[in-house]
Amino acid sequence: MAITADGHGPTIALDGARKVRGNLTQARIRWMILALVLGFGLVGGRLIQLGLVETDSTIEGQARDVITATRPPILDRNGLEMAVDIRVPSLFAEPRRIIDVEEAVRKLRTVLPDLSDDWLRDRLTGDQGFVWVQRELSPAIQDRVMRLGIPGIDFITESKRFYPGMSEASHILGSTNIDNQGIAGIERHMDGEDVALLQDLGLARGNALAPVELSVDMRVQHVMHEQLLNAMERYSAIAAAGVMVDIYTGEVIALASVPDFNPNEPATALVKDSFNRITAGIFEPGSIFKTVTMAGALDSGSVKITDDFDARFGIRFGRYTIDDFHGKHRVLSLPEVYKYSSNIGTIRIMQAMGKDNFRDFLTRMGFDTRVPFELPEMRLPSVPKELSEVGAATASFGHGLSVSPLHMVTAYAAFVNGGNYIAPTLYKRDAAEAQALYRPVLKPETSAQIRYLMRLNALEGSGSQMNKEAQGYRVGGKTGTAEKVVDGKYSSSKVTNFFGSAFPLDNPRYAMVIMVDEPKAENAQTGSTAGWNAGMVTGRIVQRVAPMLGIAPDFAEVLDENLVPKILR
Amino acid sequence: MIRSLNIILIFTSVFMLAGVYALKFSIENTASERTALIAQIDAQEGDLSLLKADEAVLNQPGHIEPIIQRHAAALGVEPVKQEQFGAFADLPMRPVKPNSAAMDSLFTALEAGIDPIDAILELEGIE
Repeated sequence: MAITADGHGPTIALDGARKVRGNLTQARIRWMILALVLGFGLVGGRLIQLGLVETDSTIEGQARDVITATRPPILDRNGLEMAVDIRVPSLFAEPRRIIDVEEAVRKLRTVLPDLSDDWLRDRLTGDQGFVWVQRELSPAIQDRVMRLGIPGIDFITESKRFYPGMSEASHILGSTNIDNQGIAGIERHMDGEDVALLQDLGLARGNALAPVELSVDMRVQHVMHEQLLNAMERYSAIAAAGVMVDIYTGEVIALASVPDFNPNEPATALVKDSFNRITAGIFEPGSIFKTVTMAGALDSGSVKITDDFDARFGIRFGRYTIDDFHGKHRVLSLPEVYKYSSNIGTIRIMQAMGKDNFRDFLTRMGFDTRVPFELPEMRLPSVPKELSEVGAATASFGHGLSVSPLHMVTAYAAFVNGGNYIAPTLYKRDAAEAQALYRPVLKPETSAQIRYLMRLNALEGSGSQMNKEAQGYRVGGKTGTAEKVVDGKYSSSKVTNFFGSAFPLDNPRYAMVIMVDEPKAENAQTGSTAGWNAGMVTGRIVQRVAPMLGIAPDFAEVLDENLVPKILR
Repeated sequence: MIRSLNIILIFTSVFMLAGVYALKFSIENTASERTALIAQIDAQEGDLSLLKADEAVLNQPGHIEPIIQRHAAALGVEPVKQEQFGAFADLPMRPVKPNSAAMDSLFTALEAGIDPIDAILELEGIE
């Protein structure tokens, strides 16, 4: 309704009601759109903001998955658990959520009185998202802490390694640290293999990991461990160690070294003298090395089993004369040299072979390098690169060079299994797999002759004490009493005793090396040479384990007669 | 026309709203059930791991041997000795079956009053 006046006065233009309403509506719509855009913008902005926030899912610098990672169970060759994971609660705090630090400290200390007041207060103060308070607690303590109802305090379930065999297989298993990572033994080796990779990928969770099967037989391991502890006590020795392998597959059936540690308390592994003497200890092997000399010389063809050697007089090297311990001082046949453990005879045999050939044979037997084996605790053997005349002479009876007992057992296994070097392993390996890894080092005939010599020594020589213990199980072996170097001189009172053996010799399956360090005579009627301690320990172990390994005793003399080479019958 | 369409749409949206809310709550319910189940499984797996560890300890030869030694006297057990092993080859052969026909004829002869020994004694000349 516009009123227009012509001519005079200002023109008043009034909009119609409809137009006014229309304008108003348009303005409202604009405001509405603005409000909506703002509203959606706000929501969108918040969404972007939330998307940009990086949540800290790590626990003190480590991913949560690593902390809760599990390890596969370790089983022995019969499926008995040697290591399992148990789930344990661990207490953590989120300091930024704790309202009253003083109250939290006071309450927590009622349940965990071992925690220091100041340490705990310091721990709970601050703006961190995650701090450990106490790890690996019992479910009972978890319950009590939960009842306290402190905000910002909670539990996370961690995997903890548990070794049900306690210290029995400690040197095989090694142990893990609090983050469930292997720090020694086969645990560490497993991490190097593939467990670490699985954990990195976050796959090592739950119980899905396939168990790791070892070659160890816990029954045999138990007997060996028990007998070694018994030997330490019986002979007041400072240490004892032993290892048994399957000669055809190289599988380690038992491996123990005492003093040892409890893998459930890894701190005990740091105690002095608890190192693994089988792999990480190198020793002068003494007379058990004569078997190596014999095998090398017989195999080279430079000596025959029927040969005689002049052992009437000691052998002079400049100022030194090397003589026999139990000297017969007559001409000895080769089996007699072995049986009486004649140093003179062994030197003559080595000389017949030639010192360079002898040195080459040591290389062939792997005495220059570490034995290829899974355990990380290994030491390089110390064998001179070049042997002088004297050096070769002393080396022939196991002095002037140091090797680990694992070297010796690997060599003994090769000597009796038909002459094939097979590297030992802690994992299961069947005969076919092993055959692919065989490295021939001796002729099968030489191997048969060594079997005869070892059995002969058990029947008539220094192994007779051992044989009495293990009557019927056809064990054969060689003693070694190595004098220790004290103040630069060989001491006759401090000795390291060895016994290298194999059984049952008519159809050998197992080779064993037992070591007793610094033994004393058990009583006045006995001695401190290897036959009395390392030998008898071997006998007692075989007596206990042979039935477990499916070897029945057989007293038939024809079995021993069959071992004698045709030429000597 | 438009009016009735609007009414239908309003009712549908109210129903949809109610449905969505019901769905939301049921999902929340399921989620909390799931969380509870996960927690329960976790706890049970924890218990299971402890039980397995217990079982492993109880199965260890090192755990069993001291028990046997403690009860050796009561149970009458001791480590097996070499002499206690045997083989089927060591068993003696089954004894020969008694000759029952010969025995029967002997007894009938004795009952009839004929002693075969007498004949031998007579032959030897012993009275």
